[in-house]
Parts: sequence; C-alpha cells; structure tokens
Amino acid sequence: MEHSRTTASASGSFLQYGLRFSTSVPNDPDTHDDFKPTNKLENSDLTLKDIVEQDVKDNHVMIYMKGDPEQPRCGFSSLAVRVLSEYRVPMHSRNILEDPELKKAVQAFSMWPTFPQIFINGEFIGGSDIILNMHQNGELKEKLKATSSE
Amino acid sequence: MGSRGANVLLTRASRIKSKLQMVLEAKVLEVEDVSYQHAGHAAVKDNASETHFNVKVVSDKFDGQNLVKRHRMVYAALTDELESGLHALSIVAKTPKEAGLS
Repeated sequence: MEHSRTTASASGSFLQYGLRFSTSVPNDPDTHDDFKPTNKLENSDLTLKDIVEQDVKDNHVMIYMKGDPEQPRCGFSSLAVRVLSEYRVPMHSRNILEDPELKKAVQAFSMWPTFPQIFINGEFIGGSDIILNMHQNGELKEKLKATSSE
Repeated sequence: MGSRGANVLLTRASRIKSKLQMVLEAKVLEVEDVSYQHAGHAAVKDNASETHFNVKVVSDKFDGQNLVKRHRMVYAALTDELESGLHALSIVAKTPKEAGLS
C-alpha cells in the first residue's frame, strides 16, 4: 500500500516506473533531512484534501482518472486524455482506482461525482463531455494558452 | 453502495428519466443505457449492469448556466443513483434555444 501511495505522488504518468523510483532511492542514514526524498502522501501532516489542493495548484493541467494516461481504464478517461494530448502540454494525473480514499477526497473537493475530472490552472473544468465540448468550440485552446504563457 | 432492492420494478433508465423530468422540467429527455459498452470495465464489479448512460436534456433551467453548472444540476438530481452503482453519465445539456426548439 505504501508503494502505491509513493507511485501516486510521483504522478500516474510514471505509475509503472514508480515502484522502481521509490525503491532505488538510497536510504543513506547520513543524508541530511533536507536532502532526503520527500513524499507528500506519506506525510501525515497532509490530509488527502491538502494533497488534492496541492495537485491542482501545482499542476497547470491535472487529471484524476481511471487508470493512467498510458493505459486508461475507462472510455471517458481515455477520451479526456486523448483530447488533452492534442495540445502537448504537461499533464499530471492520478489514478483514482488505486486509492478509494483519494477518490472520495477528489469528489468532495470538486463536488463532482464522476471521473475523469480535469483541472486547469487550479480551476475545475469538468469531465470528458465538457473537455470535448471545449476542445470543439476553441475554449480549451484559449484556456491552455493562458496556462502555458506563465 | 446502497441497496438496489427498493426499485427492482423500475429500470435505472426509467428512474433517471423520471427524476430528471421532475427536477429539470425537460422539454426533451433522452436516456440511453450504454452499460454494455463498458462491460468488463475496470470499475464495474461483479455483474453490475446499468452503470453507464447517455443523457440528453433540453431544459429552460439551463438558461444562463455554464456547462459545469448544468452537469451539476443533472448530477444533483441523480444523487441516489450515483450512490447505488451508477458510474458515469455522458451528458448533453442544452437550453431550448440552443437545441433549436424556440
């Protein structure tokens, strides 16, 4: 379980590599605390709500989805990833199928019951229907342009 | 997940329909069960059916509301269903004007 949380904090894009990353970091006892690997999800000071807030604040494009971008586990999540990929902007993701508690925290945060959920620049955008709609009417391009110029 | 027993006589599609009709006073309302397209889906456990629906709603109540708000209105009307195994909705939410009805 700790490993899956570790991978989640590295972003779902690295999901299949996350385990390797998390175990390959040397646990040298001489390392000063400042240089030790940090892990947001393991930090007990942070609640899942804090983590979601941090996710959407730190990432221009954040998607909570079923599966990960390389291997979506639902047609709607797959659609959202395909739409966002058109714009070639960095996209961070978390797989809510791996963590039911995270799933609940995201739902409570956005007050939105289904997945995927997309946030751009901290703003809740919606799910796959809305992202597709915004792609088709040009709003998404504008929104992401404002994002990437920062 | 809540009990599915209370409404065994009604399909989820018909419950969705009556709830949306009541809350949104829809001018046009189409509900299509597309769960078969998601069979074997990661999140669909056991032999769960009635999990995925396409919904098209035309309502005056969407007037002046953006898409996020319109979708929230649909979800709010279907809270019970979402808590009892409804996984996903594909929603088309338009005003009569947008739908070319007025």
